[in-house]
Amino acid sequence: MDIATYYDDISQCNKCGFCQVACPIFRSTGHESGVARGRLALLRAIIEGRLEWGADIEEPLFDCLLCGACTANCFPAIPTADLVLKARSEYLEKVGRKSIHRLLFDHLLPYPRRLHWAARAVALGKNSGLSDVAQALGLLRIFGRNLPKANEIVERFPHRAFRDTNKPGVYAGRGRSLRVGYFVGCGVDVITQDAGNATLQLLNKIAKEVHILDNCCCGLPAWSYGDMEAAQRLAEKNLSALASREVDVIVTDCSSCASFLKKYANLFPPGHRLHDNAVFVAGRVRDMVALLFDNQPHTAVRKDPLTVTYHDPCHAARGQGIVREPREILKSLPGINYKELPEADWCCGGAGSYAVAHHELSRKVLDRKMDNLKTTGADILVTSCPACVIQLSFGVRRHGLNTQVRHISQLIS
Amino acid sequence: MITDLLIEKLRGIVGKSHVLAGRAGTELYSYDASLAWGQPGIVVFPADTPAAAAIVSAASQAGVACVPRGFGTNLSGGTVLPEGIIICLSRFNRILGIYPKSRHAVVQPGVTNLELQTALAPLNFFYAPDPASQKVSTLGGNIGENSGGPRCLKYGVTTNHVLGLEMILPDGEIIRTGGAALDPPGYDLRGAIIGSEGTLGIVTEITVRILPAHAAIVTMLAIYDDIGAAARSVSAIIGAGIVPTTLEMMDAPIIQAVEDSYACGYPRDAAAVLIIEVEGPAAGLEHQAQNIRELCMQNNCREINAAKNDAERNRLWEGRRGAFGAVARLAPSYLVNDCSVSRTKLPEALARVTEISERYEIPHGNVFHAGDGNLHPLLLFDSRDAEQMKRVKKAGWEIMEACVQLGGTISGEHGIGVEKLAAMHMIFSREDLDFQQGLKDAFDPCNLLNPGKVIPAPGPDDRKKAELSKTGGHGAAVTALIQTIQSAGIEKQVLLPVGNGSRREFGNLSSEMPFPLGSSGLDDIIEYDPSNQVVTIGSGLSLEKLQDELQVHNQWLPLRPPFATLAHSLGGLAATAACGPERMVYGSVRDLMLGLRFINGRGQLITAGGRVVKNVAGYDITRLMVGSAGTLGMITEMTLKVATLPERCCALTAQGSLDTLAGAAARIIESNLWPACIVAVPVEPQEADYWEISIGFEGIGKSVESQVEQANRLLQEKSMQSIGVQDYDPINGRFNEQYQVLDGFDFLLRANVPIDQLVDLFVAGQPSLPLHYPFLDLGNGRALLGLEKFANADWLNFADLSAERAGHAFLEKAPVEFKKENDVFGRPRPEWGIMHRLKNVLDPGHIFDPGGLPGKA
Repeated sequence: MDIATYYDDISQCNKCGFCQVACPIFRSTGHESGVARGRLALLRAIIEGRLEWGADIEEPLFDCLLCGACTANCFPAIPTADLVLKARSEYLEKVGRKSIHRLLFDHLLPYPRRLHWAARAVALGKNSGLSDVAQALGLLRIFGRNLPKANEIVERFPHRAFRDTNKPGVYAGRGRSLRVGYFVGCGVDVITQDAGNATLQLLNKIAKEVHILDNCCCGLPAWSYGDMEAAQRLAEKNLSALASREVDVIVTDCSSCASFLKKYANLFPPGHRLHDNAVFVAGRVRDMVALLFDNQPHTAVRKDPLTVTYHDPCHAARGQGIVREPREILKSLPGINYKELPEADWCCGGAGSYAVAHHELSRKVLDRKMDNLKTTGADILVTSCPACVIQLSFGVRRHGLNTQVRHISQLIS
Repeated sequence: MITDLLIEKLRGIVGKSHVLAGRAGTELYSYDASLAWGQPGIVVFPADTPAAAAIVSAASQAGVACVPRGFGTNLSGGTVLPEGIIICLSRFNRILGIYPKSRHAVVQPGVTNLELQTALAPLNFFYAPDPASQKVSTLGGNIGENSGGPRCLKYGVTTNHVLGLEMILPDGEIIRTGGAALDPPGYDLRGAIIGSEGTLGIVTEITVRILPAHAAIVTMLAIYDDIGAAARSVSAIIGAGIVPTTLEMMDAPIIQAVEDSYACGYPRDAAAVLIIEVEGPAAGLEHQAQNIRELCMQNNCREINAAKNDAERNRLWEGRRGAFGAVARLAPSYLVNDCSVSRTKLPEALARVTEISERYEIPHGNVFHAGDGNLHPLLLFDSRDAEQMKRVKKAGWEIMEACVQLGGTISGEHGIGVEKLAAMHMIFSREDLDFQQGLKDAFDPCNLLNPGKVIPAPGPDDRKKAELSKTGGHGAAVTALIQTIQSAGIEKQVLLPVGNGSRREFGNLSSEMPFPLGSSGLDDIIEYDPSNQVVTIGSGLSLEKLQDELQVHNQWLPLRPPFATLAHSLGGLAATAACGPERMVYGSVRDLMLGLRFINGRGQLITAGGRVVKNVAGYDITRLMVGSAGTLGMITEMTLKVATLPERCCALTAQGSLDTLAGAAARIIESNLWPACIVAVPVEPQEADYWEISIGFEGIGKSVESQVEQANRLLQEKSMQSIGVQDYDPINGRFNEQYQVLDGFDFLLRANVPIDQLVDLFVAGQPSLPLHYPFLDLGNGRALLGLEKFANADWLNFADLSAERAGHAFLEKAPVEFKKENDVFGRPRPEWGIMHRLKNVLDPGHIFDPGGLPGKA
């Protein structure tokens, strides 16, 4: 749909500037191009004919983290992230898509096996022409960007993907009644497998049956990029895998996936052949954090207390309104001294493949996060999104901190 | 014109990635938070002062206009500059230092107001100005607009809290004016620059005063079914002599819009709410809150409740601060009017606003600083509709006219920018505007810094002359003075305004023998509005007469100038910027002055400022005239803020070595007490190191009592024993004896350094000080020293010692023979250059006391 359709929404910005406070990009750059007010001004200029679609608006459109902090700070709550997405979509149409993204969205993300292969190819330092793709996935950040150091990478790189050992299927759990479908996100599958294993352990405790679903990428990366069609294709593929009536709830330990799965119905508006199915699936999706909050398994008491802090993934806090739950969980854990992270709900700069496409900016955003982390003196930084885990781990290493970064499932199990 | 060469040069200065020249990049800097629009030619982001200065130099050489910009939340179009260079200071984002011991902080202009507040909070300090946009408005922007905010009701606006500036002049020169040491000699440059909307210089570093956080705070929400009743409550509270910290009003449309955004705790069915906050020591605070409650209830308040905790309090403020953004729920665009009227005229002003907005069929909402009389009607419309835009502008114009008719002004805090340019004619004559233009010309002769703002160009809308105030003989006396000055101009006779003649020795020796200009016919009280706490007087009125008159209404002018007896003329006190140690709580003359009139060297009667407590219309000529020592004109009339007489004034005294006393003073300065003065004098002059300290507290009885007790405890912590608690007279204070002794000396030295360095300066200065009598104002970092003799070398040595401690010294009084050989203001400073440029432009005939300025000719 033409961006001009949203002229009223865009014109609603009266330029008060309050979005500047909360925008991680603006706080890093101080450039008007990096804040909601500026992005909306550009869209208004396009609609009013002062500006044309062209390469000079690529940066303002694509350097948005889509974290939604601006809307949360906007008194009239203008949905800038949504408008930016619409604009990205139109931009791709009018100015063009990059081949790297086509490769990623059309040929890699729909197929977990190809994804494994690509990731490993990069990890082994085999310059197979796919390293750009791996970069786009943010893989390199956990190992550093230096490919010649492949030896190091291989040492620490999981040799197998999560799915290699945990095949789709139904597994019996120790719980009483709950039947859980486990949606394995790409991050967990390829990189943060420890988190996946921990989640699986916990699900085994909580649920009677654990169905490891045969899903592919949820579609969020494509959607964030503005490629609605690719996002729809990925979602459609998933809908058939997720439509099983054999599960009571679909759980994922990736807050980004969870928030996007919950939005599937928006991808297929009423009237679309997949709409009902999308509504059905979306309605059953739960973030692992929320599931844990309701079904907290017993944990052993630690001998030496640990200081723990928590980073809110954008897709948990603003995407799903999950703020209280993880904190309550952490505070209830024995032997844990919980300390609130200043600006905990500020984006870490990971934002999917953002960190690679906008390396400098992302690093500045991350540096702010790390400065805040230092003030807590935490032993462990907990979060609930693999993309954040990857980005934060990178940050911790970059800043030479001793803090460990863990998915919440890992901490509990 | 912006050439490729210039762009290359700028890229060379700041790096390629810090220059935006493209269509999209400049589109992003074509607006601020107002309705103004204009696409700049280029945007640059310097990281430090040298880079910014290099940009300004390059622009100046190329003849291209530039404007400094922070985060672009200006509400009058002041940072929109078509085709020029936007110098964005967002990278000047560091707090350079916070110094609780000397109650100051140094920041860069790109730091937001809230960032500074957040940094100060853990130290239990705050920076008083708190514009509602504090989350996003930068301190540099606050300087540009002389920003106010809710708390300004009690503490005053930006100009009352900025101590010093580093700035780049339009030709690229970097100067400093003021600093942590109070009251530098010469013209109040920082006063002139604050509120100049980026047209005089680019501020690159700011020194602000910080204040200790109060022990307790009560925030109340008063709910009304009728907006008139809310406005009457405001008048009643101020009229009763209560000055809360804030008195904010919001009406029904705003309440709705805010509540639609966030649940802030305002009742949706109310016609208006007031947010009233009082703060201070816990003792006496509840009593004050209770008085306010009763006054509100007497004025048909539905109910009034106090916030139960910080969360509730924060929510109330969150809503108030977000109101401008929230109205986007009602309409895509708004025009905010920023008129200011006397507090007692609020009900009338609000009624006029409603009438005008209804007549133009433009809906509006009110959210404003009611306690200051500073209206913010938001006219709601859609800027995409040209016809609506026309109506809105007309309505806005009429609201300004209505407020001016009510004795108000066109802008309380948002500035003139481009939006109110034409309305400047409503309040200033061409002669007033020309005088203001003189200020601009002195700073920016080529008109390259933010041109086209603040002062409208000469044209058919110009008004000729100010009308004379007509009370008693005032008008006639002014007419006579105008004639005298005009003929002096023709005859090249040099003049020196001397008031009633008692402080003629101020400043450097005039180069020619000046003819003394008295103010004897100007001793009227022109207008006194006790319920509004404002008085307009003739400059010849004595302080004594004024205090007598004010006391009838239980009010006073909170000023106890040393050396000046009560018989001194107020004009003279203003011209010499006299103030005593109570400055630490009441401020100095510059902080009490709302407006004035004076006759310039051309014999024109010039009006500056106004009669309302908040006013940013035009350049701040008022601040420039205060302390100008009669070198720019003869002050004829002044409008001053007055205050309720303190219920009780009480001083705690203790004795000991100077070091011990200094330690105690430091402890009190860092505490959350609000003393009115902290002074040390030797018990026996010229004897051993044995001093007496007086710590005065003034205000509501209970609060004074509890603070004296707390101060006593702090003294005990420092192993000091108080030797007495004494009440003193509010008008005379408690130092007149000492002042008399000081005034008996031939030399009177005044030195100011950062508060915590005063004792150090005094000790270091001993060798160069012959027999002397000291008066150490530990609360303001000021030493007053009476000396029988002062050798030239000793004077310069002492001046250097002050300068080494980031301070300054000057001789308030010195014999003529000494003055012939010395500059009483010490060694030349770079900022004196601009003072002389000002003098040349504003008094081209050099009629007024040539040579009196710092920097002997």
